[in-house]
Amino acid sequence: MSNHIDGSRNSCALHGALQLIEAVEGVVPVIHSNAGCGMQHFLGVNRANAFGSPFGGPPVSSSNIGEKHVVFGGSSRLREQLKNSIKVVDGDLFFIVTGCSTEMVGDDIPAMTKEGRDQAFPVIYANTPGFRGGVHHGYQLAVRALVEQLPDLLKETQSPIDGLVNVLGIVPQQDPFWAGNLEEIGRLLKGIGLEPNLLLGYGRGVDGWHRVPEASLNIVVSTWGEAAASLLEERYGTPFLRLDGLPVGFASGWMLRAVGDRLGLDAGRTEKFIHDEETRLRRHLASLADAYFRAGFQREFALVGESAQVVGLSEFLTRTLGLLPRTLIITDDPAEAEKASLEQVLADLVEEFGTEVLFSEDQSEIAGLLRSGRAGLVLGSALEAQIAEEIGAPLLRVSFPLGDRVVIDRGYAGYRGAATFLEELGSLLLATAPLR
Amino acid sequence: MSLLKSKAPRIREKRLDTLNAWLGSAEAAKQEFTGEETVQRIRTFSQSSEDDLIYALKLLAGVRESVVIVHAPRGCGAAELCHKVTSGNGRWIVTNLDQKDTIMGADRKLRKAAESAYREYRPEVIFIVSSPVAAINNDDIQTVVEELQEELELPIVPVYVTGFASRNAVTGFDTALHSILKHLAGTSGEVERNSSVNLLSVVEHPDDRVEAERILELFGVGLNLLPDGASTATFRLAAGARFSFTLDQDSGNYLGVMLRDEYGVPYVKQSRPVGLGATGRWLAAAGRALGQEEAATAYHVQESERVRRALGDFSLAGLRVYLALPPATAFAVADLVGEFGGEVAGITVGHLGELQVSELESFSDRYPTVQFHVGDGQAFEELNIVRRLAPDLYIGDGAHIGQVARLGIPLVSLENQPVLGYAGVTALVRRIAAALKNRAFTETLAGLRTPYRDEWLRRSPNWHIKKEVK
Repeated sequence: MSNHIDGSRNSCALHGALQLIEAVEGVVPVIHSNAGCGMQHFLGVNRANAFGSPFGGPPVSSSNIGEKHVVFGGSSRLREQLKNSIKVVDGDLFFIVTGCSTEMVGDDIPAMTKEGRDQAFPVIYANTPGFRGGVHHGYQLAVRALVEQLPDLLKETQSPIDGLVNVLGIVPQQDPFWAGNLEEIGRLLKGIGLEPNLLLGYGRGVDGWHRVPEASLNIVVSTWGEAAASLLEERYGTPFLRLDGLPVGFASGWMLRAVGDRLGLDAGRTEKFIHDEETRLRRHLASLADAYFRAGFQREFALVGESAQVVGLSEFLTRTLGLLPRTLIITDDPAEAEKASLEQVLADLVEEFGTEVLFSEDQSEIAGLLRSGRAGLVLGSALEAQIAEEIGAPLLRVSFPLGDRVVIDRGYAGYRGAATFLEELGSLLLATAPLR
Repeated sequence: MSLLKSKAPRIREKRLDTLNAWLGSAEAAKQEFTGEETVQRIRTFSQSSEDDLIYALKLLAGVRESVVIVHAPRGCGAAELCHKVTSGNGRWIVTNLDQKDTIMGADRKLRKAAESAYREYRPEVIFIVSSPVAAINNDDIQTVVEELQEELELPIVPVYVTGFASRNAVTGFDTALHSILKHLAGTSGEVERNSSVNLLSVVEHPDDRVEAERILELFGVGLNLLPDGASTATFRLAAGARFSFTLDQDSGNYLGVMLRDEYGVPYVKQSRPVGLGATGRWLAAAGRALGQEEAATAYHVQESERVRRALGDFSLAGLRVYLALPPATAFAVADLVGEFGGEVAGITVGHLGELQVSELESFSDRYPTVQFHVGDGQAFEELNIVRRLAPDLYIGDGAHIGQVARLGIPLVSLENQPVLGYAGVTALVRRIAAALKNRAFTETLAGLRTPYRDEWLRRSPNWHIKKEVK
């Protein structure tokens, strides 16, 4: 049984599906639900991050069902909405997603999708009522729908690309730096001679998803990409590489070597690339040393974020920057088995520091943990602003929701992301340190 | 029988013949309401828009020392996250209904959430906001409320919004206000008469509230501002006040009417104080009600002189302005545009009903042939209309303003913009002047495609609006 949540930062399955869909160019979500479902998504996700609606506002197609449809069923309303969406909205693919009310009423979405297909509409669907799960589950449902239903829709074959690698598991908006993180992971993969298939973000549309089965490897950045990777392994025999978390700084070398090994790449080229990138990052760190000691970087920190981010950032903060992990709070509610493995990964990372590792998506519980932890630096979301102020710790906004922080294409992944992270952390600590 | 006995008020469609889809000339819009019968319209294509649940959450986030429990799957509280991170308002808990709850009901979960809210925050009041799932499932919220009320000894206020019963989001204001009065204002027998005056302010900009209070200081009366920033005590006081005065006779209507009909507090209706003329009329109405008309007139002369000096030679002469706003603000801003010598090129209001008839009449007298559009968040229709009209300025407050920006027209958003009273005129004029002075941003966006197909943009904008067949 699920519990109530105080100040939840994780929205529902429908919204998670919309987050994925909005990150694929040319895909138009067709919401079959109440008028407010799409608006809640816009307010509680796009706006909570202060940047990021590709349509310039709330979702552009929603059946807005009324009382009549709740009583008599809303399938005919969906039929009409789908047909007209294709006439009104520009798009390559129309993606039906459902809300709670139409699912409770029992509208037959596969049948409506099939009807659309019979008329040669490019349409797929996912059943995404909020009562079936949270935002991450919605991401998984939408990815699965694309993987399972696109092959029936796009039959023509494309010329194969050598060394194609899919990147899965970065949930748009829940990772506010998703676009920048993907770009950097792509740059790293290119650096060792591969062709990244990043699937989301600027210039990435249905084509990339069409190519998903061709890949020689799936890189899975978080637990939320695992279901899709397993499905692809089962269907197409594509192996996958599960990362412990987002690779930030030197952890990128581990990822590149592992990928290189799996695909039998030229180790010399990989090592050369890693060496060049690491040299550059070390140089940045050396230049930062003066500020580091002057502003007292080395302090206890608390980190609140999604699992991949907590692993990646705490690894960099602890293993590279020498800060002291006090409290790590994971907010994306992973499955029990995943929790156990995350605890293991984090225990290996922080074992000598007496760090508390906790799982919570409840704002008041998180505030309580930060209050008792009394770290000298908080990395978290806008929801941590009040408690950070209360305990007198500077706050770096790194996780969803960012609130009044605008992020366009910066990220924390890779070597360049580590430099970005240093810029932000350094600026914050200098601005808040009591310098003489 | 007291109207407050019911769980929720009748929806705007039924109570005030309110439409949320309509397109035609202003003259025809007037006929729709002054003729025999107002016919509801529906859309055969629609876009996401606000609903009663979101409006209720917006309103309740402004009530002091309260906690909101959203009795729903977790997505129905997403708007609360926005209120929290953009304005710091609101404490909310979502009951996080899952599949099993949709079959078995979830009153135990609701009870636990309320108990936890009480322990954690010791609020003055807990609101329980219903949702599509709770409504369809017919969850017994009432019994839980009665039990909790005894156990926790604080008011627990159920707000029965559904997300689907009304197409007009403003119904959510009515529903929240209905519940507040029913549970927080006391019964009419218990009311103690007092000398204060109610100022009805429903989800207004904080600066607008400050300005209204500043202006009304002139009369030297105690003001109860509600529901924005009110505490539970404010509502009890309001039920015994001398009279109620409003900042928006659409959103505040239900509160004003119920305080009048249920508690005998006279309701002074007046158009929004937007622009110098309307602010003067608004102030005069308050002065009349308090027997201080002369003081009001003198104050208005002095203040408007000050504002005119500050505005210098600002003028909208020769400019055609498109308005896309909630009805009360739209008509008020239309007057302001006229005051500065501009012309309304076309208008979109979120909804239109009986409450707007007199304003609609004056509007259509002045602009009989202007295109009149009713739709909330229906950007596809708006873009179609605005593109054809090619106005010199667009003033709106919708979440889709980023789409409109792609038309390359100078644009002002009122979503986070004070507009009321003398300070409002100055602030709004500054924004408009800036938008007209440097058009670089929207011109930069003008090259981008809108989300719509050219076929749609060439089609008649009323294509998807049909008369409802009952």
